Amino acid sequence: MGASRQQDLAEQMAKLRAVYMARLPVELAELQALAGGLQGGEGDRPSLEALYQRLHKLAGSGGTFGLAALGAAARVLEQRTRVWLAGALDDGYAAARRAFAAELAELVQWVVPGAGERATPSSAIPAAHAAHAPDEAIQVWVMEDDAALGQQLVRQLESFNYRVRLFTRIDEAERAAQAESPDMLIMDVMFEAEGRNSTAALADFPALRALGCPLLFITSTDDFESRVRAARLGAVGYFLKPIDIPRLVNRMGQLVEQLSAPPQRVLVVDDDADLAAHLCLVLRAAGMVAEVLRQPEAIMEALAGFQPDLVLMDMHMPRYTGPELAGVIRQHDKWTGLPIVYLSAETDLERQIAAMRRGGDDFIIKPVSDAQLVAAVRVRVERARQLADQINKDSLTGLLKHASIKEVASKEIRRARRTGKPVTLAMLDIDHFKSVNDTYGHAAGDLVISALATLLRQRLRQSDHLGRYGGEEFLVVLPECAGADAQRVLDDIRQRFANLRFSYDGQNFACSVSAGHSTSRHAVADGEANEALAAAGDADLLAAADAALYAAKRGGRNRVCAAALEPSTAAVPA
Amino acid sequence: MSTLQRVMYVEDEPDIQAVAKLALELVGGFTVKVCSSGEEALREAEAFAPEMILLDVMMPGMDGPTTLQALRALPALATVPVAFMTAKVQPAEVAHYKTLGARDVIPKPFDPMTLASQVRAIWEA
Repeated sequence: MGASRQQDLAEQMAKLRAVYMARLPVELAELQALAGGLQGGEGDRPSLEALYQRLHKLAGSGGTFGLAALGAAARVLEQRTRVWLAGALDDGYAAARRAFAAELAELVQWVVPGAGERATPSSAIPAAHAAHAPDEAIQVWVMEDDAALGQQLVRQLESFNYRVRLFTRIDEAERAAQAESPDMLIMDVMFEAEGRNSTAALADFPALRALGCPLLFITSTDDFESRVRAARLGAVGYFLKPIDIPRLVNRMGQLVEQLSAPPQRVLVVDDDADLAAHLCLVLRAAGMVAEVLRQPEAIMEALAGFQPDLVLMDMHMPRYTGPELAGVIRQHDKWTGLPIVYLSAETDLERQIAAMRRGGDDFIIKPVSDAQLVAAVRVRVERARQLADQINKDSLTGLLKHASIKEVASKEIRRARRTGKPVTLAMLDIDHFKSVNDTYGHAAGDLVISALATLLRQRLRQSDHLGRYGGEEFLVVLPECAGADAQRVLDDIRQRFANLRFSYDGQNFACSVSAGHSTSRHAVADGEANEALAAAGDADLLAAADAALYAAKRGGRNRVCAAALEPSTAAVPA
Repeated sequence: MSTLQRVMYVEDEPDIQAVAKLALELVGGFTVKVCSSGEEALREAEAFAPEMILLDVMMPGMDGPTTLQALRALPALATVPVAFMTAKVQPAEVAHYKTLGARDVIPKPFDPMTLASQVRAIWEA
């Protein structure tokens, strides 16, 4: 873009901004009037709806016009109105509405005349935080008043490929939060110099509070009050000093996975079409994927097709009861872990218990508020996913266990055969791992293993599958990935891993990794050969990757080798 | 390869409308049609024949997802790439919007300097 265009844009933006700033006091006054008129009952619904809409706009426009703090504060208030609108306007609401009006009146403090007017057009408006591509490092903010400790933490986290920024004062972070936001926030509890306990002080920092990213606390004193306040702030981790880095990194890795978890899928089985449609709407508004099944006879087909995380079922339907359907579902091994929740007006405890004995997991008693329904479903799906993870995933790395990754590999090979697209399997093995364990101890060895796991997770695509195959051995499945691409990606990971510096008990050391990979030839084979390939089986591809790994090791380690002869061709009868 | 020219932008908030129009026309060099509601977008879409549509998620009346659904029902607009624009997007929400048929999500507040290149990148993806 030419300089004159930039100039044009800057000038026109300034004009728009002037108009916006001139109108802002009027808008704030009107909002204040609306909030002041709230009576504390159901009659407030139209006013709250208007407040919700207008705060939402303010939250969006504030940031664009350089008033990020105003935007953030408006966002907090907007969320509150949304929560109220979703439930009954009861006594709790009536009590809270005055504090709400008072906070709304304070919005005006964020209207700073000079904010957002900067010298160069490129920094005229704080850049928005863009959703990160899989290849972009996760942004972490560390708030730690002890600069030495903070820097140590930064170095350690950076070796796990996180992009880390250190703040030694809360107000510095607050200022930064007005313009940008991290993917994760790690905060010390005690800020000695400021004499603040951050779990208590966060209420005074609207931009930080409005970040909405996962929050972890670190602390040297373990007091119950701080823990409770941390829990109230929605903290997802609480770590005591000295900090166990592998544990912290492990938790962070889990959070990164949760952030990118696919939406929860709910199947609603209800003969009341209106109610079912309403339930779906509520669940969808909460970001879930919901579908209605009206013919209970088709339940097994619906499960197979839709693959829900949870089934929400009416207890009493005309021809079949909920427990009867649950019984049918539980006859299939594949679905024994699927959460089934009954929605019912049944308050008779004995009948509830009888229903649960038949394979249901829980009851939600009608009538249920929207917020309650969403919370109940969300928690159960999260638990079920956690449980499945514990069964399928390695506890140190969070990657799939041996059996699970092999299963995934076979599935992907079958899929590649169907679609005619290539799939690459890669085996990786940390070089001289035994000597790391012997020299620095097993804890250091664990650190190295989780570092490679984290690197793999961050450098590969969402659609790739990662597994811990053995002690220091990893199996990676790369669907729709040709050999040359795999070579490039794996070699990049190899180099990054070799550049990591581990420190353990004051000693620094580095490690390297060797890899071998093998790509299916299904993409180029004709139909007849495909049949033969199917017979050749998955084992060949894996064996070829393993042989390539062996070649990399023999060739001097710290290198990536492709399988010399693409495996299946040898197995196809001429 | 052809380049992106015609962008339809659906947003009810006049301030944001003005900034985005400016950013898309001046920085991106696009031809921009601004609509203030989902209903207006439906009336104007076929005549304007956009190559790319940007939809605000939360609008009074027809919201973004509903508008998308209605647009998809028009044969001429069945395959035009659509991006949602919304605040504070978590990855799970992005995934949800994609299941609704959006190609991507642009987070708000957006940066006027880079909005056009973001839109172009989504269109070319």
